[in-house]
Amino acid sequence: MKPLRLTFAIVAVLFLVVLAVSPLKDYLREWKHDQTEYNRLVAGLPQRVKQVDIGIRQVWVRKLDRVDRCVTCHLGVKEPALHAAPEPFTTHPQVYHDVDDLGCTFCHEGQGSATEYRESIGKVKYWDRPILPRAYLEASCAKCHREKDVPQAPILNLGRKLIRESNCVGCHKLEGGEKQWIPSLDGIGEKVNRTWLVNWLKHPRTYAPSTRMPNFLLTDEEAGTLADFLLSFKTFPEEAALEPEPSQLTSAGADQKSKLVELGATRFREARCISCHPINGKGGYVAPELGKIASKVSAQWLYNYIKRPKRLQPGVVMPRYRFKEEDLVGVVAYMESEFVDYDVEQLPPHTPDPGFYEKGRALFKKYSCGGCHALSGMGRAEETGPELTKIGAKRLYEIDFGRSGIEQTLPVYLKTKLLTPHVFGESMKMPQFGFREDEAEAIAVALLGKTDDNIPPDLIVPDAPSGTFAPQGDFGKLVDDLACLGCHVMNGRGRLVATDLSLEASQARRAWIEGYFKVPYSLRPVLTERMPKLYLSDAEIKTLVDYMEMAFISDSLDHTVSTDPAAAAIGRGLYYERYGCQSCHQVGAKGGYVGPPLDKAGTRLTAGWIFHWLKNPQRLKPGTIEPNNNLSDAEADALTAYLLTLK
Amino acid sequence: MTRARTLALFLPLLLVGCTGKKNTPPSVSADSVRANDSAVAAPAAVPVERVLSYEERQGSVLYMKYCAVCHGKEGKGDGFNAFNLDPRPRDFSDSAYMAALSDAQILQTISGGGRSVNKSPLMPSYGGTIDNRQARYVAAYVRAFSTGQ
Repeated sequence: MKPLRLTFAIVAVLFLVVLAVSPLKDYLREWKHDQTEYNRLVAGLPQRVKQVDIGIRQVWVRKLDRVDRCVTCHLGVKEPALHAAPEPFTTHPQVYHDVDDLGCTFCHEGQGSATEYRESIGKVKYWDRPILPRAYLEASCAKCHREKDVPQAPILNLGRKLIRESNCVGCHKLEGGEKQWIPSLDGIGEKVNRTWLVNWLKHPRTYAPSTRMPNFLLTDEEAGTLADFLLSFKTFPEEAALEPEPSQLTSAGADQKSKLVELGATRFREARCISCHPINGKGGYVAPELGKIASKVSAQWLYNYIKRPKRLQPGVVMPRYRFKEEDLVGVVAYMESEFVDYDVEQLPPHTPDPGFYEKGRALFKKYSCGGCHALSGMGRAEETGPELTKIGAKRLYEIDFGRSGIEQTLPVYLKTKLLTPHVFGESMKMPQFGFREDEAEAIAVALLGKTDDNIPPDLIVPDAPSGTFAPQGDFGKLVDDLACLGCHVMNGRGRLVATDLSLEASQARRAWIEGYFKVPYSLRPVLTERMPKLYLSDAEIKTLVDYMEMAFISDSLDHTVSTDPAAAAIGRGLYYERYGCQSCHQVGAKGGYVGPPLDKAGTRLTAGWIFHWLKNPQRLKPGTIEPNNNLSDAEADALTAYLLTLK
Repeated sequence: MTRARTLALFLPLLLVGCTGKKNTPPSVSADSVRANDSAVAAPAAVPVERVLSYEERQGSVLYMKYCAVCHGKEGKGDGFNAFNLDPRPRDFSDSAYMAALSDAQILQTISGGGRSVNKSPLMPSYGGTIDNRQARYVAAYVRAFSTGQ
């Protein structure tokens, strides 16, 4: 009997204890401790902040099908008075989205239903979407924001820009990175020499530090074979034949030659080649480096190319300068004498191996050169790398970290892959792009945003469709020939290096535009990109301006102001005394040079443009830093009247 | 005797029940998260050691666009356009001056311009160009020039 009673007693006590442990455990929950702390904290604040009842709190976002309990401990997210409070109570930074609207994990990832720190934010086994480190947080903006420039997401914007510029879509299937124009390789055998090509294939950045061509880490043998293969392509697109090199270049005496070089130097400066081309890293960024061009291309090719760029390289944005023959020869002579790479060691004469063509062709395919470069007979290589459309949802077990020894998370994997693709295995085909660390992070951010989340259509902010403007007739031919859209935007098409011309005829006066084509000058002294002098004929200028007056104009910008000197005097007062316009604009060599000088505003600009510009600058040029001063019509009229007197 | 033995048996159990929960203060395992935070690329060269807050980073982008031409990339009032202005733009790294300035005053100057606070009209008003939220971001960043050490 006794052992039975003892057993009974033990079981009874055990039962009691077990009963006690459960409420005790519940009482000691982490979040309860946090909530008590919070109540103590807010009680001590000078401002009145409501205390919370102890209990689990959650945000239910019906449209995203998410329940986030983060607010159980992050109690101050919507309380501005707690902006200096310690975590987890501090105020959420002011973003455009509300926590009630989108919840927490839609942006931050992590396990929303967890109520313990480790489980929600820490690494949880089998939880595929761990919390996003802050450096990569903008990835979540990309889930809905498909537009090119996402407000408040500079890292994402940089990443997307780099994805476009690096032409990732050449090898990977990826949305939102339209194919870039990359030079065709047809005729390369008549263009470059073998020494340059071998060196280029091995280390592109030695020749051009800013090039987008990645480094494929080729062996000497591979580079040599590939070069031999490429140099066998001597026919230009559409079988365009090179004109012979002009005799002045080949047979001029030393005296004659130096005169030619001098003339060429002048024309090279006048034409402002460095607006687009960098020379040893200095100058524009739109076009390729020219600092060592004479050691790359033949004089004959250079002469033919400058004469008619699109004949040898269809689609290139280089304008066809209207040089006279003598000037053109001078420019070539100047470039040949000036832009030489004296450090380069010429490779010994070389006879290609018998099997070079087949071997080279195999290398061309292996490294997917055709993903970017067109080469006749090779076809277009499409998407030979892995698809990246849902890369942000890649599970950790799907990733081969190899022997890289890096932290095993998706962001770190992507960043490392972009910086040093070969740490994941010698045989990786992905080339080295030479990104900086912050650039690799930015690209990783843009890629991480490509998840498989089911986004409700009404949340998606689409990208603006790219323009389809294609001018016809004589104007269209000129725009193509002068590559205007390489720098200017017209009706939504083109590249915004210089101004948008879609309203040019409403903005500037005819006589001024004509004069500008003849002698272009820099409206803003601080800009490095300047309009080149294209040596246009009067007839060509007339064609251009006639078209602008017909198409690049808007009636909604018409406006007339009185020419009364009294109005101009009031405007002058507003200009100097009230709005301080002189801090950015110069008149009579006095004032700042952030905006264009206004000395000749009256001869350059129309009344309607000035008036509407002053009323709302961002309406006419989105992104301009000219402040909108909320001027009344009377003030804008007076200022316009004043500016029109400046001639 | 029996009772004492049973108690001794259960005491450790009780203790386990109590200690299991206590050791997770938020900052301990946050290290991995924070380590990544320090890798945030601040777009601007502010002479601060600490990591910029979200508001400050947003502000820095706007600051570089609108303000740096005069106030300088490091807030010292030495932007390229500063030398055309009289009086010169404010030096935001002047911590004595900035400490005496309230947030409301900074915001007012940004949105209403110099003229709205009886200062030089050469400081334009940006209230019509950026919204209140953006103005607060800029104000937060302007403060960072003098507070972050």
